[in-house]
Amino acid sequence: MKQFLKKCYLAIILIFLYVPIIVLIVQSFNAGKSRAKWEGLSLHWYQELFTNASIMNALWVTLSVAVVATIVATVLGTLAAIGIYSMKKRPQAFMMTVTNLPNTMPDIVSGVSLMLLYIFAKVERGYFTMVLAHITFDVPYVVLSVLPKLKQMNKHTYEAALDLGATPAYALTHVIIPECKQGIVTGALLAFTLSLDDFTISYFTTSPLVQNLSTLIYSATKLGISPVYYALSSLMFVVLLVLLLIVNHRTADNK
Amino acid sequence: MSEQPRMIYLENISKEYDGVTVLDDINLYIRKKEFVTLLGPSGCGKTTTLRIIGGFEYPSTGRVMFEGKDITDMPPYKRRVNTVFQKYALFPHLNVRDNIAFGLKIKKMSRGEIDKRVDKMLNLVNMAGYGKRSVDSLSGGQQQRIAIARSLVNEPEVLLLDEPLGALDLKLRKEMQLELKSMQQQLGITFLYVTHDQEEALTMSDTIVVMNAGHILQIGTPKTIYDEPANAFVANFIGESNIIRGTMVRDELVNFSGVDFPCVDSGFGENTPVDVVVRPEDIVILGEDIGQLTGTVKSVLFKGVHYEMMIECGDFTWKVHSTTMQPTGSRVGLSIVPFNIHIMHPMKEEAK
Repeated sequence: MKQFLKKCYLAIILIFLYVPIIVLIVQSFNAGKSRAKWEGLSLHWYQELFTNASIMNALWVTLSVAVVATIVATVLGTLAAIGIYSMKKRPQAFMMTVTNLPNTMPDIVSGVSLMLLYIFAKVERGYFTMVLAHITFDVPYVVLSVLPKLKQMNKHTYEAALDLGATPAYALTHVIIPECKQGIVTGALLAFTLSLDDFTISYFTTSPLVQNLSTLIYSATKLGISPVYYALSSLMFVVLLVLLLIVNHRTADNK
Repeated sequence: MSEQPRMIYLENISKEYDGVTVLDDINLYIRKKEFVTLLGPSGCGKTTTLRIIGGFEYPSTGRVMFEGKDITDMPPYKRRVNTVFQKYALFPHLNVRDNIAFGLKIKKMSRGEIDKRVDKMLNLVNMAGYGKRSVDSLSGGQQQRIAIARSLVNEPEVLLLDEPLGALDLKLRKEMQLELKSMQQQLGITFLYVTHDQEEALTMSDTIVVMNAGHILQIGTPKTIYDEPANAFVANFIGESNIIRGTMVRDELVNFSGVDFPCVDSGFGENTPVDVVVRPEDIVILGEDIGQLTGTVKSVLFKGVHYEMMIECGDFTWKVHSTTMQPTGSRVGLSIVPFNIHIMHPMKEEAK
């Protein structure tokens, strides 16, 4: 009985979490336009999705922002992690708080404050400001994935490299970075996923002329949403799901 | 050893961390091909001394001389010394072969030459055939051998070893001690070895440097250090000792436990307070009425080769090692020959 209740409880949670997404995916294969009526299985909306210019443009923006932000954030985050690792205890604790803080802040706060900053600095919002914003929120995640790898390392690893004749630069590229490669890749995947999936911060840091997928969907809902967005959302869900599974799998492996 | 030239000379080295002195005016030289051990309890500054020579710590004052040249400011990657670190610090992302080849690749040596030298090293440390293995798949002892090979392949003038056997079990440690010693003699390289294990130091070293609280207490051969410890700390740290307060009555006569004992030391003056050190194996047990001291056996422990007996004589309890056992509670006489009584100046507070 107890077992049964436990399973029911879990089932209810999963249903509440995933029913909306399942409905969305099912609807994306509906041939008709109405949400109330099933008019047969069709890939019609998926076809339309890939011929819709504004969606394709938004897809390009989303992917290119994610790629650029991921690359920059991975480089910055890895170097920052190495810097934080080699600090003394107290400044290290301070830096970790500063790094963690943006993660705990609601996206809307980060979004609005970035917007205010851009307005204050008289930077016109668009593609560039969105990339900058994405780098900003990606960096802490890279730091947090690389730092544990560094801490797992034998504390004399860097010294051992120097001892064997490596210059500091050689030790960094041939020992330290390869040693925490796993953490760097995990951090990059995480950054890429977060960037693909972000709405709030993008919304505040771009102009209506440069839309990524999530801001595009948001503006589309104002006009009465077309089922083509069901197809788009379903695809985004699948891509993010796969990325998250990879990230989780890697983190589990590291332990 | 004395005919060899001086390799490394530490000149007035002091080191402070945040106002705490860990090394206080160290002066030490190491001769070529010598096996020198820095011995002392944890926190005595031995590892710091090693790291200053390796270039990983910068002394607060003083100079490090290497073959007559000042290398205090030279970064570690330019020094002709290599280090075997505590817990090995191998590179897990490289296999055994690439770990050993690391230093040679930096020197831009040809592929063939690298292979030749790495194979030679693998043979030297008895690890031939392990080249393709990942270092994480090796046991502690095997990793230790690879760490030694990785340093030795660079043909350093001096090899620094920081408690390299600390993580191994007793049996393996004893085997590795002998292997390290024979490697050192075979290759003719200067070894500077750090340990807190006095037995290890006595087994392997040409010269032992006993350190405590940032000071060097005594430098000497294992035999000198054991037989003629400079003070009570050294006596206590190296092997087991009975240390008792006494008074030097005059030259070659000392009084402790209320009895005058003839001894061989002189030059302490008359009626001077001194520390008297007697090794447990140097006390002879006799019949109750013929010893210099009389006491009661308080406890007996069987230690394998000998029995360890605690024998109470008045207000001092002597630790005595003997191959014949006296039952607990029995009355015995104790005697010490003059040669085995070591007299020292009472220790200065700072070195305790």
